[in-house]
Amino acid sequence: MEVDLTPALAQGGRGGKEVMKELKFLFAVWQANLQSLMEYRVSFLTQVIGMMLNNFIYFAIWIIFFDRFKEVRGWGISDMYITFGILASAVGLAELLFGNAFTLSEIINQGRLDYYLSLPRPVLLHAISSRTIAAGMGDFTYGFVSYALSGQFSWDGLLRFVLAMLLAAIIFTAFIVLIQSLAFWMGIISNLTSLAFNAIVTFGIYPITLFDNYAKLILFTVIPAAFVGAIPAEFIREFTWRTLAELLVGAVGFLFIALTIFRLGLKRYESGSAIQIEV
Amino acid sequence: MKTFKKYWAIFQITLVNSLAYPGELIGRSLLIVPFMWIFYQLWKVTFSAAGSDAINGMTLYSTMWYLMMAETIELSRPALARTISDNVKDGSIAYLLNKPYNFLLYQFSNSIGETIFRALVNAIFGGVIVWWLVGPPPAPIGWLFACLAIFGTWVLNFCITCLIGLSAFLVEDVSPFMWIYQKLIFILGGFLIPLDFYPGWLQVIAKALPFSAMIYGPSKLFVSPSIGLFANVLLMQSLWIIALGATLIISYRRGVAYLTVNGG
Repeated sequence: MEVDLTPALAQGGRGGKEVMKELKFLFAVWQANLQSLMEYRVSFLTQVIGMMLNNFIYFAIWIIFFDRFKEVRGWGISDMYITFGILASAVGLAELLFGNAFTLSEIINQGRLDYYLSLPRPVLLHAISSRTIAAGMGDFTYGFVSYALSGQFSWDGLLRFVLAMLLAAIIFTAFIVLIQSLAFWMGIISNLTSLAFNAIVTFGIYPITLFDNYAKLILFTVIPAAFVGAIPAEFIREFTWRTLAELLVGAVGFLFIALTIFRLGLKRYESGSAIQIEV
Repeated sequence: MKTFKKYWAIFQITLVNSLAYPGELIGRSLLIVPFMWIFYQLWKVTFSAAGSDAINGMTLYSTMWYLMMAETIELSRPALARTISDNVKDGSIAYLLNKPYNFLLYQFSNSIGETIFRALVNAIFGGVIVWWLVGPPPAPIGWLFACLAIFGTWVLNFCITCLIGLSAFLVEDVSPFMWIYQKLIFILGGFLIPLDFYPGWLQVIAKALPFSAMIYGPSKLFVSPSIGLFANVLLMQSLWIIALGATLIISYRRGVAYLTVNGG
């Protein structure tokens, strides 16, 4: 029996073309964001250098702590360099590529999604990628510097760092989108979004060995800090299929939940008649 | 007296305004709860690993109450630098300058009015969780000394954040200065780790700077009150208020002379 695969192949081809089209569009948006930033070069450089300095001073606290207490349940300063580094780079990448994710709830509440809804592009992707946070470049770069200073640098480790950073950035962005999308139901949620952001960043930096099993459960689910700090750090130190699987499952799972919540919320969206004001 | 009444009225209006959205006030203060919980986990393990009840005169109990006070002070700070910087950048400062009050005193009355209930609610949430974790708060004299010193902290914070906000006269974006100021508070103020745990040389440097008089001073007074420490904290705060206050007044006068407002 012969099976005609032409329609399926054609559909697959169309799917591939669609993905390429969206990727091209995404790169064009990022390029426009970059050009917009370059209009204010001094401001851009001030923010990048300022953020790197800010991270360095913040990390100095851990240097002082581990200089005095040496280690906390097996975690030393070297582990902190890697954890801090991966978290900084992942957050930085999210800020660079999806800057509007951090203010998505404001966009929803102010009716500014109208602009994105009126264009033939994926609404969420277009909305969150339409802004680049300049300081993200400082975070992104600092993460690599922190890894290089950890004393555990290796070239294969660097590859793992890049892979772990990409997956951690997906989880981090998905978590931020998920929380910000609650604005569809709850309205103004600036306190909640600020709490969630501070919680994931703060918990992400702390040694995972500090927490008991109940706390760890929270750090893998409600506030997925372990996925952007401790687990990627473990993966960078030593490749294991288990940590890679954990990161992949985390990335796919949180991405799915975030997209579902946003889609469900979008059905409740009320127009702000603001098609013209988004620039 | 009439002048004082004017600023007192501004202070009262902001104070009442800060209560207009209790949900916002409470929601903002909830942040202290997870922070205190993380600190407890960290310091419990650290004291346990050190195998000692006291490290450099601090116990787990005093460290937790110290951190509660430090968090309360830091989390209650209003975003004054951003407000002033926005005023400068969008030109709305012009509407404030032509009013019959001094711009700096107006901002000061505003910022104190904004801070008081925020600090109170933070102290309540932080106090409840720390009480639950390590036991009841220190002696009432500690509260008294700390409250007096916290006022000095607010004045110092006003001087520094106002200076950062006014720097918008010269630079496009003041955010990096805010981040770095916050991190200097973290590290040299003893916000995340009490200065008692620092190496000696760093303690000497930190204690000579205003940041320790803003965070470490009031927090330490809270857990280990003494007349000597109280006098020392007040002296350091006074010296830095004079120095930073004078710098602020000079910078403000120069900034206003430099100001160009377009449009109407």
